[in-house]
Amino acid sequence: MKKRGLILLVVPFLAIAFFVAPAHAVDSIVIGHPAALSGSYAKAGEQAVGGVQAAVDWVNSVYGGVNVGGKKVPLVYKYYDCESKKESVTSLLERLITTDKVTVTFAPYSSGLTLAGAPVAEKYGIVYMDHGGASDKIFTQGFEYVVQTIGPGSSYHVGTLEMVKKIAPDVKRVALAYEDSEFARSVMDGAEAKARELGFEVVFKRTYPMKVEDLTPLLSDLKASDPEIVIGGGHFQDGQLFNKQMADLDINVKLLSLIAAATLPAFGEALGDLAEGVMGPSHWEYGVTFSEEGAKAAGMTWIGPSQDEYVALFKKAVGKDMLPDYHAAEASAQVLALVLAVEKSDSVDSDVLRKTLGDLTFMSFYGGWDIDDTGKQIGHSMVNVQWQKGERKIIWPEDAQTAKPVFPKPDFE
Amino acid sequence: MIFEQLSGNLLQGLVLGSVYGMATMGLSLIFGVLQVVNVGHGAFIMVGAFTSLMMFQAAGVPPVLAIPVAFAIGMALGMLFYFGALKPLVSPSGSGIKSLDMRAVGMGAGILVALLVVMRFLSAAFKLHFAITLFVAIIFLYGFLLYIYGGRRQDKAPELATLLVTFSIGVILEESVKQLFTSEARGFNWAIGKLDLGVTVLPYTKLIASFGSLTIAVLLYLWFRKTRAGMAMRSVVEDDVGARVCGVNVDWQYALSFSLGIGLTVTSGVLLTMFIPVGINPYMGGPYTLKSFVIAVLGGLASPYGAFFGGLVFGLVENGSYTLFAQFQGLEPFAMTRFFSFVMLLVILLLRPTGLLKVK
Amino acid sequence: MMRPVRAYYPILPVLIGYGILFGIGQMVPGKWQLISQLAFFCALGQAFNLFMGMTGYVDFGYVAFLGVGTYGMAVSIYYLFDKGLGLTMIVIGMILAAVFSTLLSLAVGAVALRLRGAYFAIATIGVNEGFRFLIEGARIWNGSDGMIFSRHMKTAFGRETAMALSMKWADVIVFGVAFLAAVMTLLYMRNKVGYALTALREDEDAAKVMGINVTRYKLIAFITSAILAGLLGASAWALKLTYVYPTDVFAIHYTVEAIIIVLLGGAGTLLGPIVGGLIYGVSKYYLAIVLPGFQLMIFAPIIIMIIVLFPEGTVGILKKRVFGTPLEKFII
Repeated sequence: MKKRGLILLVVPFLAIAFFVAPAHAVDSIVIGHPAALSGSYAKAGEQAVGGVQAAVDWVNSVYGGVNVGGKKVPLVYKYYDCESKKESVTSLLERLITTDKVTVTFAPYSSGLTLAGAPVAEKYGIVYMDHGGASDKIFTQGFEYVVQTIGPGSSYHVGTLEMVKKIAPDVKRVALAYEDSEFARSVMDGAEAKARELGFEVVFKRTYPMKVEDLTPLLSDLKASDPEIVIGGGHFQDGQLFNKQMADLDINVKLLSLIAAATLPAFGEALGDLAEGVMGPSHWEYGVTFSEEGAKAAGMTWIGPSQDEYVALFKKAVGKDMLPDYHAAEASAQVLALVLAVEKSDSVDSDVLRKTLGDLTFMSFYGGWDIDDTGKQIGHSMVNVQWQKGERKIIWPEDAQTAKPVFPKPDFE
Repeated sequence: MIFEQLSGNLLQGLVLGSVYGMATMGLSLIFGVLQVVNVGHGAFIMVGAFTSLMMFQAAGVPPVLAIPVAFAIGMALGMLFYFGALKPLVSPSGSGIKSLDMRAVGMGAGILVALLVVMRFLSAAFKLHFAITLFVAIIFLYGFLLYIYGGRRQDKAPELATLLVTFSIGVILEESVKQLFTSEARGFNWAIGKLDLGVTVLPYTKLIASFGSLTIAVLLYLWFRKTRAGMAMRSVVEDDVGARVCGVNVDWQYALSFSLGIGLTVTSGVLLTMFIPVGINPYMGGPYTLKSFVIAVLGGLASPYGAFFGGLVFGLVENGSYTLFAQFQGLEPFAMTRFFSFVMLLVILLLRPTGLLKVK
Repeated sequence: MMRPVRAYYPILPVLIGYGILFGIGQMVPGKWQLISQLAFFCALGQAFNLFMGMTGYVDFGYVAFLGVGTYGMAVSIYYLFDKGLGLTMIVIGMILAAVFSTLLSLAVGAVALRLRGAYFAIATIGVNEGFRFLIEGARIWNGSDGMIFSRHMKTAFGRETAMALSMKWADVIVFGVAFLAAVMTLLYMRNKVGYALTALREDEDAAKVMGINVTRYKLIAFITSAILAGLLGASAWALKLTYVYPTDVFAIHYTVEAIIIVLLGGAGTLLGPIVGGLIYGVSKYYLAIVLPGFQLMIFAPIIIMIIVLFPEGTVGILKKRVFGTPLEKFII
């Protein structure tokens, strides 16, 4: 009897026996990813996993594998779920490095979780590619193996302000209302600096807490400051709320630009007519016109699927009728960067890879890719999208336009 | 200027507060009768929001008409979770328990672990199906064990068990909804015009939601005061031993009030979508849980109509204090309103644990 | 009050348990992070159990103590890194962590410990959330921008030492905190504090009538538990991960994790949190690997099942089974 009771205790330890997994064959490139598939970042995590999978499928089936050591070897993707929790990131990352013997590691979504994994990657000296941590501060910490694909937060609203400056120079009054999170704050600080530099007048600057349920007091306050341009936002839910309650309070401005939320398909579905004319800065959007020909003209290396191929691959990878957004595209571009770096250096050694990535410049459907000495992304520029008649159109920069900007934006009905 | 803003905010706060109050009544009712704090409260609000969203998207049903459906879904979920998880922990008559046979338990655990080990070698495509199978298998195993052995009432630290069980119920709901509808934030647009009051603007949908909340609160009040069933439930709140002596089936009253509480909570989810029809996603409930705690305490924790009153006060304080904090440099007024509401929670708990009103 | 040595025998299985865990971490290459995560769960459970298990009071905002502890260490490194203090900085950080958590626990104790049952649980949630919003709203310690101090550590200690601190010594401190928590638990159990608290757990009013200074003993256990949590936050979160964001450290799901661990192992037992922490940690880790994306859906019903069917927890059941055998004196 006693022994049977102990089964409960013994069983988990038996599971430990499985930790010692069989050694991997050397003839493949393995990507390890402690993805955030559940918990607070589940949505972005799901996109990222789909994006990596889509790019890996493309490399293996269309591109024919990675050319290293004189032969084509397949790319393998291994991901676990870190539940958006920092402790799990460290242990799963270590498992990927030591047990699964991956070639490179990808960071989970968000700056916090990226930072949580960085010391582990540094300890094992393995390249740690960051597709979802936009904080500039990650790259002032002296990490040697962290490489960024997402652009730094401070540049998000720069293009928006430049656009206004160019097409309506007499518009001056800017209101900033961002979520009180590290990421949104870095966007806000970048936007404020740029606004002052371009001669705008910042008439309102406030934040609202994360997971807010009602923005009415803040927006009433904002309304009182009588702005012409409102830029702000933070994540998905609060961005929708922001737009909806602006409409509820009849706050009509010439331009409304929201980070993250407004660039996703769900935004237009949720808000319908209210989304008309709302803008958002995005790293990548369906419809951006980066192509092989364009890359050749600019003298850059091109790799990866075309945009339509990519969308098809993504849908297949997630097994749902879901459009990839910029979270997915970032993760995919990262895979392509890795492939190029491996081929260029003909090596899977981490130090060599890190050095090659540092010198690498290329273009894909995601746009340009180039990092500075600290690993920070500097080669990627953002686009601004606007909802026009229920569709997202790219309106800025001018050379990527799929439609002319509607300015001032139509009033809420 | 400030006065105008303040009065606008207070008006908005009053309207919002009535919906918050309604959203807390279920929590208070459940606490009043069962002495259980429903930590999964927000997840039930989320279920209501999804009910409203789905009915609007599928058939264009305006949220007002989704109320009875949501209430029925809530009652059903309440019964399910009461008998499935809470009854063994709280029921006054649920203590005649046999001891568990460790062989059966060991075998069950062994099967689960074996399944997991098998799953390790499956491809990602199979995992969804396997996960669902496993989920169902666990529920069945649980039901089977519960049927054979029954649960046992815990006398030591009952809060510990009930807090964790209600939390887990919330997680089950959130994760199931996530598997069904993904974690995308959704919304719908039901516009029927606005009322411009000068100091602020109120869409009619908000006013309907507010009026609906008030109606439900009044109906609940009347039900408690005027009907036999309501009085029976009230007697359990006052003194459950006494009620039993007087021939009230206390066990059934527990089940009924839990499911009524959940029904009210799910209904409030529908009312909330009239207020804010966007940003509906599986994890939206968390902040509402915390808010509801504060509101419930303002109203005395065990009293549903106290909770309604608490909601009004809360809405006024939260929106009103924004204007106050906005006068200070270097503060983030919005975060400070939250800070202030939790300070208020502690002060009330300390000075007037029976709530602001002394209605029982 | 002197007690025979054999009253302290139960510390042996604790020592052996942590010893084996530590040994595995040191011997098996590439498992140290997992082991340290397990040690974190054990320590969390152990520290939480010290107050909750003995008194039956459920502190739902317990994570606030870990949070302020994390800030204690972060503040020390972030603001003192260029003062040339060397490793003293870590000591200052630990002391600050202890001081912060003591202060917070005194404040909470003054308000919340007068309350009972669900009222206590809600009040402590209020403290946790309120504190977070205060940090964000008043922009204390950079507010929501948080503090990232990997660079500061590298500047102060050099790259190698900084790496060793966060990847090894932080975890060793976690083991230390876990063991300290176990020792404190046993000491209290075998002491006046424990007797008073047991009486209180069974019937607080009766205990009062008997002339026991209930408030005093509650406060002693509460502060001890809070300090341990503060030290845990300082080591497992600040020193190890080298960053702190308020939303990240005041996240209520860590309290839930603590409760799950304690319940799995058995509330009010000495060995419980270790067993619970191991079961919880290993199964969570394994589920994340086997079923990425579905583990919460699988885990939640299992939790309900365990609470309803085994309210005494693993060690509680074990205790009953070894009753009257020679093992009895080792397991409490």
